[in-house]
Amino acid sequence: MIKLKNVSKIYPNGARALMGVNLRIAKGEFVFLVGPSGAGKSTLIKLLYREEIATRGQVLINNINLVRLKNSQIPALRRNMGVIFQDFKLLPNKTVFENVAFALQVIGKNKKEIRESTLSMLDLVGLSSKVKAFPSELSGGEQQRVCVARALVNRPGLLIADEPTGNLDVDTAWGIVDLLDKINKYGTTVVMATHALQIVEQMNKRVVRVEGGRIIEDKAGEEVRIGI
Amino acid sequence: MAFNSVRYILVQGLVSLKRNLWLSLASILTVAVSLILLGSSIIFLANTATIAKTFESQVQIAVFLDDKLNDGQVVAIQNRIKNLPGIESVTLTTKEQALWEFQESMSTTSLLEDLGGINPFPDKITIVATDPKLVQGIASQVEKISGVESVRYGQGILEKLLAFTNWLRWIGVAVVAAFTFAALLLISLSIKTNVNSREKEIQIMRLVGASNSFIRWPFIIEGLVVGLVGALVAVVAVGFAYSWLLQYIISTLAFIPVVANQQFLLMVFLIMMLGGMLMGTLASVISVRKFLRF
Ligand SMILES: Nc1ncnc2c1ncn2[C@@H]1O[C@H](COP(=O)(O)OP(=O)(O)OP(=O)(O)O)[C@@H](O)[C@H]1O
Ligand SMILES: [Mg+2]
Repeated sequence: MIKLKNVSKIYPNGARALMGVNLRIAKGEFVFLVGPSGAGKSTLIKLLYREEIATRGQVLINNINLVRLKNSQIPALRRNMGVIFQDFKLLPNKTVFENVAFALQVIGKNKKEIRESTLSMLDLVGLSSKVKAFPSELSGGEQQRVCVARALVNRPGLLIADEPTGNLDVDTAWGIVDLLDKINKYGTTVVMATHALQIVEQMNKRVVRVEGGRIIEDKAGEEVRIGI
Repeated sequence: MAFNSVRYILVQGLVSLKRNLWLSLASILTVAVSLILLGSSIIFLANTATIAKTFESQVQIAVFLDDKLNDGQVVAIQNRIKNLPGIESVTLTTKEQALWEFQESMSTTSLLEDLGGINPFPDKITIVATDPKLVQGIASQVEKISGVESVRYGQGILEKLLAFTNWLRWIGVAVVAAFTFAALLLISLSIKTNVNSREKEIQIMRLVGASNSFIRWPFIIEGLVVGLVGALVAVVAVGFAYSWLLQYIISTLAFIPVVANQQFLLMVFLIMMLGGMLMGTLASVISVRKFLRF
């Protein structure tokens, strides 16, 4: 599903964020991206949703090279992936329902579709009782669940998360990671950058370690190891 | 594009107008002012053109004759003029006729007595040329005929009027251009403010894959509405002002020829509406390109 071939990213100011990165992620995988601050995790994730363009190499998603992608093709790319962040990026003047529905509204879905998909996705993330609440009335964990629902409401095959638990305490963080695990088990590929080493350790998933813009370790997850 | 999207875009466009109410009003007002100027310039120019035409077709030459000429000499002069090229008609008004006409217009019978028995009017020959362009040539030839005291025609009035209109046309263009520029700046400023205030929303829209046109359209709608409302204000203002002015002129200065043609006015209003829409759309397209980079 995801292939990075010899990818380097040098920002306009000269910062070398990634250097010669090779990475393959198969459909249905759950991958943690770890490494110290400034390692290049966020940069790698931005390449995946085409917020940034690789300076060298190829970034392929479903065999489409994002380096060559035209700006007008970005919307189509993003409709096939969900992205969540540390800061939740919810619209404060919209309710939970409206925030999730927004993602479908702006890609032109009809009212009935929007209602059905939104409610079922809010049910999936466990927020059925909060559809009419505003983001300011929710806990951090609940807000991130809304974001997960919004990212997934269009049923994309890939979920990308950049430190989704960075603002949450340990218990709440676990709640989100469990949710992502559940979604992964339904078939969505998950790529999550994180500093939460305890969680990474206990989850026993594939771990890609980045340092100084290079991948220095790529450790397969437990299930895969058992498979071998 | 689906109906849902169209509705969303329309609502968004209108909501952002409301959000920046004062800026929107200022934009609408500048659009209106520039269109009022545009509309009144067109109307004014059309009127001066008609006035100029009327003047042109009325150009006559008045020839005043020496007081000491006898009737035979007067007729001789009249015949010499008749034989000049480019003459349409020659009419003689004798000093007696002139006095009588004047007396009529004053509704008195004792004018000559009041003037001490001296008729102050000279004999006058009125020439109408076949072509207004020939007037000056004819006049200078007639001036040379002995016994002609003075020759009078609309010396330079027409030229002055035309020069004035020309000059005015350029001023009009400059002023309209300046206000149009101001309107474009204001609309663009208000769209920039909206882009900023909706930054987060736009960011999320991009993230979930809203198409670029979907993100842009509300801003373009906003500009279009500003242009349209401004144009409406201008049309109403110009419409009322001109009809009031027409009535005033017709009732008090009836000799000034005015353009009161319905079709002409409709065309001016149409130009104003189109101008407003164009201004609004142009401003928003430019600023959306500038502030919403993809
Ligand atoms: N937009 C940018 N312009 C210039 N340099 C950048 C930009 N974004 C990131 N960098 C640089 O690229 C390098 C990698 O940054 P990146 O954000 O990818 O790190 P990270 O692994 O996500 O760190 P953290 O764990 O702190 O989020 C850093 O040296 C950073 O300063
Ligand atoms: Mg980061």
